[in-house]
Amino acid sequence: MRRSTAAAVGTLTGAALILGVRLSVQPPDAPVAAPAPVAQEQDEPEAAPAPSATKKPSGKKSKAPAQDAPAEKEEAGLKSGTFKGKAVQNPYGTVQVTIKVGGGGKITAADATYPNNGFSGTINPNAVNKLSQATLKAQSADVDAVSGATFTSQSYVESLQAALDKAGA
Amino acid sequence: MGTVVSIELADDLPASSLADLVASTCAWLHEVDARFSTYKDDSEVCRFRRGEIAFDDCSPDLRLVLNRCAELWMDTDGYFDAYAGGPLDPSGYVKGWSVEVASQRLALAGSRRHYIGAGGDIRMRGSGPGGRPWRVGVRHPWEADKFSWVLSLTDGAVATSGTYERGAHVFNPRTGTPASGLRSVTVVGPDLALADAYATAALAMGEAGLTWLAKRVADGYESAAVTDDGRAFTSPGLPIAAS
Repeated sequence: MRRSTAAAVGTLTGAALILGVRLSVQPPDAPVAAPAPVAQEQDEPEAAPAPSATKKPSGKKSKAPAQDAPAEKEEAGLKSGTFKGKAVQNPYGTVQVTIKVGGGGKITAADATYPNNGFSGTINPNAVNKLSQATLKAQSADVDAVSGATFTSQSYVESLQAALDKAGA
Repeated sequence: MGTVVSIELADDLPASSLADLVASTCAWLHEVDARFSTYKDDSEVCRFRRGEIAFDDCSPDLRLVLNRCAELWMDTDGYFDAYAGGPLDPSGYVKGWSVEVASQRLALAGSRRHYIGAGGDIRMRGSGPGGRPWRVGVRHPWEADKFSWVLSLTDGAVATSGTYERGAHVFNPRTGTPASGLRSVTVVGPDLALADAYATAALAMGEAGLTWLAKRVADGYESAAVTDDGRAFTSPGLPIAAS
């Protein structure tokens, strides 16, 4: 039993932009340690005012290099390392995308900083509606995907493109 | 529309097949953008908006989208309104619908296990990595790097609308003022287009949306919501992952 996975990121903007296709095949019984990142490139001055980072769905793709995935060769050859996109302002703050490119030239993670209003939620038991009231938790977890409201469109795409340009896409 | 789309295929298929499936999915999404964008003067939506083509001459896809928008306007008591901003803008339906169709097309082409995420709205099919259900985090409305809920599901859609990321981008079409009362609404159900529209409509309704959402459970749409003052609400069948 082997598992094949392909992941791609594209945009719905006019320019056709397929950012990466990752194909890997891995025997489940013999996990191989992921290689440590070799080069860390951080040449962009810290422009964002330290907002909190959000883990994007593609952020947990640390995976052993494919042992026998011939399709790896035909993929776009991005430089391995970590690349920060430019910090792009939108009316609510700064968006900055960081991508990690693994040994196979694939994007293994895309994280972004988002505006943070610094508002903290309070739990306030109140009138019961038809949905049952629950405790609002703030948990960290390993997930496959994130569902959330987005206003990162243009800023996110711009910053992501800049990060990709640096990676040599 | 400027939305970033992620596609993950978890099928045990040859690499070339997977690459073809991704390519055809991207082609479909670009086609949708070309035909339905309100930012492209030559899109079908813009031509219809200017009266250059009549409803009966529109493509079957556009007629379907317009009909669904009209149905949703009625089903949401007017809170889902493709004309809320003035001229026709069906983007609020088109995004979820295009991903829903993309997933159907993938299934027909042989992909039984995948997810497609578009700007925080997700459609998944089959089991996820390792054969377990997909785990979907619902973003915490104040702590961007945390989740208020972690959901576990195989087939289905998860859509979230919130006022926290884009500020006041959802308006109450009855008053013309920014939606308030609810900070985040997540809807889980079989069809992403509907889940997305329901989440947006409930957000526009404010706290009254909690009661409205409770009625959608009978149709197979579960929900979770957080009020502006931090109270959290869930429907009974919300597929919360065991921790």
